[in-house]
Amino acid sequence: MTATAQPVAATPKDPPPAKPGYRSVYLWHWPIRAMHWVAGGCIALLVVTGFYIGGPYFMTPGEASEHFLMGWMRFLHFSAAAILVATAVIRVYWLFVGNRFERWQALFPFRPRDWGHMVQVLRKYLFIHPERAPHWLGHNPLQQVSYTVLYVVAGTQVVTGFAMYGLSNPGGFFASTFGWVAPLLGGHQVVRFVHHIMTWYFLIFLPIHIYLSLRADLLHREARVSSIVDGFRFVRADVDFIDE
Amino acid sequence: MYYPTAHPWTEDETLAQHLERRGVGRREFLEFCSSMAAVLGLGSLAAPKVAQAMQTQRRPSVIWLQLQECTGCVESVLRTSEPTIGDLVLDLVSLDYQHTLMAGAGTAVETAKQDAMAANEGGYVLIVTGSVPLAEDGIYCTIGGRTAKEIVEEGARGAAAVIAVGACAHFGSVQSARPNPTGAVGIRDVITDKPVLNIAGCPPLGDVVTATVVHFLTFGRLPAVDGEGRPLFAYGSRIHDQCSRRAHFDAGQYVTVFDDEAARKGWCLYKVGCKGPATFSPCPIFQWNTRTNWPIGAGHPCIGCTEPHFWDTMTPFYDRLPDVGGFGIENKVDLIGAAAAIGATAGVVAHAAVTGVQNRRKRRDLPIVEAGTVKQEEDNNG
Repeated sequence: MTATAQPVAATPKDPPPAKPGYRSVYLWHWPIRAMHWVAGGCIALLVVTGFYIGGPYFMTPGEASEHFLMGWMRFLHFSAAAILVATAVIRVYWLFVGNRFERWQALFPFRPRDWGHMVQVLRKYLFIHPERAPHWLGHNPLQQVSYTVLYVVAGTQVVTGFAMYGLSNPGGFFASTFGWVAPLLGGHQVVRFVHHIMTWYFLIFLPIHIYLSLRADLLHREARVSSIVDGFRFVRADVDFIDE
Repeated sequence: MYYPTAHPWTEDETLAQHLERRGVGRREFLEFCSSMAAVLGLGSLAAPKVAQAMQTQRRPSVIWLQLQECTGCVESVLRTSEPTIGDLVLDLVSLDYQHTLMAGAGTAVETAKQDAMAANEGGYVLIVTGSVPLAEDGIYCTIGGRTAKEIVEEGARGAAAVIAVGACAHFGSVQSARPNPTGAVGIRDVITDKPVLNIAGCPPLGDVVTATVVHFLTFGRLPAVDGEGRPLFAYGSRIHDQCSRRAHFDAGQYVTVFDDEAARKGWCLYKVGCKGPATFSPCPIFQWNTRTNWPIGAGHPCIGCTEPHFWDTMTPFYDRLPDVGGFGIENKVDLIGAAAAIGATAGVVAHAAVTGVQNRRKRRDLPIVEAGTVKQEEDNNG
């Protein structure tokens, strides 16, 4: 598949019928949508099992030979991490073959005027002249930054996670590939610390992410939630979009 | 048992001849060689080679320097309840200079050291315990009026091999912990022109020191090392992966406080700050005090003393994770994280409430929109 400006997957032939006054725009191809939900599920599993590994909150009674609780937690954690890395690979590939809402240019507000827009979006969320903020089909600059930070945090988790994973097999692939992490950060305890504290970013991100998505749907009838399910956004026909 | 003898190992005697004079049987000597081969991970077929190399060995010259340290490493290596042939070998090879063990003092021993270094130029083994303070021109550790830096540089110049024994010689240990007032560093930071082998630990296991010396005497070179310069035969795997309490870790059975039921049952010390998962050392296998026990076996979490800068990176010793320094009681990562997450959620709820109020106010002024018409509203994005 060659990288083109056009999306790799063609826009579905017949978009779902829009109500009068609305039109439907195809935004997210299936790999992006699949990545979103699979990665979300993995992160949920990783947070739950990760907090157990960091500070075991259940104990098992009786003989050690009858239980394998921490063993299972670690198995699930490592498995979910592997799947998350797989979704990351797909996401990185799609940064180069996706449509312009999905490509790498959409990761970051590059142009100076994007930064002005970001201030407007911030003001809108602070209830200051909400009408002045432009509309976006894809991600607004604030979204771009917060999602890119999420990618960076997830990437840090992957790197620090693999650095710790490598300890069990010194000289193995992970130990040698991620051997630079601990000296860089100042020891394996610091790696643990970073891995642990970064987890909280997901828990801070999650309520804000869900709230703002639902808010856009309920308040502006912008069909943000459904766009990550079937790829289409219903938008009002009378609204101009700055990134159309 | 082997006692101090009036018969020193003389230059023209091989080790085999000398051990015979000391009353060590052939069988005991071969046992020692086999165990050393096993420790070095060479397998039983290598034992004859070790024996051959060791018995034909002429007295090697070893200079043992003690710098900024507590002498605990010397105690660990030499003071065991029952001296073994390994101790004897170390006793023998450390003959030329070891200022704690030497009978002489002052100018006499310094001269003896200079003579030994001159006579064995390029052929002696330099063992160093203790760190080198660099601050204020190294005045924090001087022996005979010379700084530790001068002494170790001079010693390393003609050495065939440099072995740094203990955490001080490895990275500086406790005196190099923040804020490191004396500017203490490990030997590898001073001697940069030749490889420095680190036998890490505070103190290190005597068996590892012995086995390293045996390796050098057998093969004429130091054993393979990891990224920290520690011999792989000893520091090749984690305490966590060799631990006798590992089954309890996998099962989810942990000591929460030191006098609880779990502690009595010998459960895993992970929750009371064991650093075994981040520490590479053969402690669970070799154990301490003639294989009597080891810290985790005795119910104390590993403090990670074979890892660089463990005083800074492995503390607090009784907690899983480092503290966030600088502010009062809310110094735990999870407290801060949970506060931020709850704050974010509360912020979201508050924001939703304000949005709801605003929307309600706005809706009063809006016309009812019929299906098919387009709502024309000034503030349509709220």
